[in-house]
Amino acid sequence: MGQDESDVREGTTSIRVNVSLLDSLMNLAGELVLSRNQLLQAIGSEGLKNAEAVGQRIDLITSELQEAIMQTRMQPIGNLFEKIPRIVRDLASKHRKKVELSVNGKDVELDKTIIESITVPLTSLVQHVFVLGVETPEERSKAGKDEIAVLSLSAFHEAGQVVIELYNDGRGLDGDKLAQEAVRRNILTTDQAQSMSEKDKLELFFQLDSGGSDEKGERAAANRPSVKSDIDKLGGQLEIQSEAGRGTTIAIKLPLTLAIIPCQIIIAERERYAIPQVNLEELLRIPAHLIKKRIETVGNAQVVRLRGKLLPLVRLADVLGIKRTYFDKEEEHYKKDRRSRIADRRSKTLALEPQAGAEHVATEQEDTSSVVNRTGEDRRKAPESALNIVVVSAGAMTYGLIVDRLEDSEEIVIKPLGRHLQGCRGYAGATIMGDGRIALILDVSNLGSMAELTPVEADVIALQNQNRDSQSADRETRSVLLFRCSEEESFAIPLEKVDRIEKIQRNDIEYLGSRKVMQYRNGSLTLLSIDDIASVKPLSDKEDLLVIVFQVGAKLVGLLACGPVDTREVAMDFDNVTLRQTGIAGSTVIEGRTTLHVDIEEMTQQLV
Amino acid sequence: MQETTMDGDGKAQKNIELATFYVGEAVCVMNILQIQEINKIMQLTPVPQAPEYVMGVLNLRGKIVTILDLAKKLGLGDTAIDDNSRNIIVNTHDGSAGVLVSRISDVVAAETSSMEKPPTNMSGIQGSFFAGVFKTENTLIGVLDLDKVMGLEE
Repeated sequence: MGQDESDVREGTTSIRVNVSLLDSLMNLAGELVLSRNQLLQAIGSEGLKNAEAVGQRIDLITSELQEAIMQTRMQPIGNLFEKIPRIVRDLASKHRKKVELSVNGKDVELDKTIIESITVPLTSLVQHVFVLGVETPEERSKAGKDEIAVLSLSAFHEAGQVVIELYNDGRGLDGDKLAQEAVRRNILTTDQAQSMSEKDKLELFFQLDSGGSDEKGERAAANRPSVKSDIDKLGGQLEIQSEAGRGTTIAIKLPLTLAIIPCQIIIAERERYAIPQVNLEELLRIPAHLIKKRIETVGNAQVVRLRGKLLPLVRLADVLGIKRTYFDKEEEHYKKDRRSRIADRRSKTLALEPQAGAEHVATEQEDTSSVVNRTGEDRRKAPESALNIVVVSAGAMTYGLIVDRLEDSEEIVIKPLGRHLQGCRGYAGATIMGDGRIALILDVSNLGSMAELTPVEADVIALQNQNRDSQSADRETRSVLLFRCSEEESFAIPLEKVDRIEKIQRNDIEYLGSRKVMQYRNGSLTLLSIDDIASVKPLSDKEDLLVIVFQVGAKLVGLLACGPVDTREVAMDFDNVTLRQTGIAGSTVIEGRTTLHVDIEEMTQQLV
Repeated sequence: MQETTMDGDGKAQKNIELATFYVGEAVCVMNILQIQEINKIMQLTPVPQAPEYVMGVLNLRGKIVTILDLAKKLGLGDTAIDDNSRNIIVNTHDGSAGVLVSRISDVVAAETSSMEKPPTNMSGIQGSFFAGVFKTENTLIGVLDLDKVMGLEE
């Protein structure tokens, strides 16, 4: 392994670039100089029309230049795959197993930095899969399989990401064993292990890392961050599927480049911050009148009940210590108060604060009353005192970040922060926004640890909740998003399929032939409406519409809908006979309403 | 701008040009060659959690530059941003950073030989940030040791 690491370090010094690419870069740079001269001239002679044309030209050149420069960073993944056969050969002879390795997709290109940082986790995954998953020839023939195991490594593009897939036809992984191992290594408590789903148990594989069964490997693994944290850092995702006796498939999904990432822009204390989309789970808004009901206190932690689970809450301003670290202990109910304090923060309200804090520690009941006394009932009903929560996750940690306002999602270019700011762990970098000002990019995982959240704590809270609330212990449920199409009928779609929900105006929809599209993230988004495909009442004629964005295969699709939207935890099984039709998978009764389950994949197929 | 000073006997002295600026009421100089540019972009983005002498970050033609409050760094209080305040962007060995000063003044030429070590009684924080002292005809000016000023707090 040490060998690999030093290889990586040497690799950072130079890069191999195709000469034709370099030529086109030179070309573009020349064009840029030319356009600059034109621009200067146009400005000098006050020829506004000319300036406009030059502006367009510069726009074009800039995007081409950016693209070309990005390409210089792209390297074929084959460079990395070359190392794998030797590792597998060594492992095979060491463990006396027979295996045939096939490697596909060497031409797939990835950002150089990603290839470098993926080397260690990938080799350790290969080792781990080999040790745990592949059987000895004797075992294999006993199970009626070919003595030679199949191990395949392939890379391909899918949905704007690069997927590296590692497959073997071995014995499959045993989730329970992984859980036992995790308990033995103090990663989990026994209680936690028992309450985990099969899928979660399999995912432990990534945290246990390549320790394998021998002690030496285990010790080595202890000193290294887990595969999961490595991949998380790259903004990648890990997926694992395993079937006993049949094999294991691991997929590593990676972004094409690290330089440009989609981010959610948020505002806290009048400054903008960017949260990388990969860390973003969902956005949650708690209206003022529900804050009292939804936000709870467990021990000294503020939590919100979200689909049966308790989600720890952290106020961004508090973690970053913006201006008033003093208000750390402030209850989550006080949003409006805080706002007013920003305006006159040196005023007397300050003096009240410690008292309120002290009361808050006592009991929730008392606390609430103090709020009422101080601010008056009407104030808490003000719409702006609603809480905007960004639910973020990093590694095993999921928490809600309270922010002042939510802005758009944008593709941003990451720029590093200077030396003086290296000590600020809360930021992953900075970016320059359209208006030329800077927004800091938040490092969700470090923010979580700065707020002294630990993955374990979050789990414990979830567990406490499960014990107390038997309803949520029932895991045969799933989360669905409820929405309407016409005013009367209500629809549901599994929440995990939803990418985003965008608010649009009716005239944002553009009609191209029989298709509907809208502009979305510098491109076009195909829109569909349930009534295009299924026989339901037509889309409501309201001006304010919603577009639920889904990732279907490689592309994004938007489903037109109208509010109110809500989420519910519903039973896994539903009636798939009575109301079944194209695009509708079936129906359930949710809170006294017949709700149709939308099958978005089927709908998209109808579209093409 | 180039003010060549020749000694009476024609022997060229080692001359340096110094940019003078004010930090609050105090006059400081730094070698002009260390300065990348001086600007008055005051659209700073504050960085919570940064050391207190960091004013914020600045977008300098697509590059993110950290701006330090020189007065605070030297222990001379805060710099109030007004029409006269300027950012001096300096070249350090690892990228650019800038210092916010209250006002900039002339460029003066001086001979290296006239620079003296900072007086030993100029101790404490301030003393450690000066590389030396220049005598001009009627006053003394402190020369900032840029590496120390820009260095990280130990």
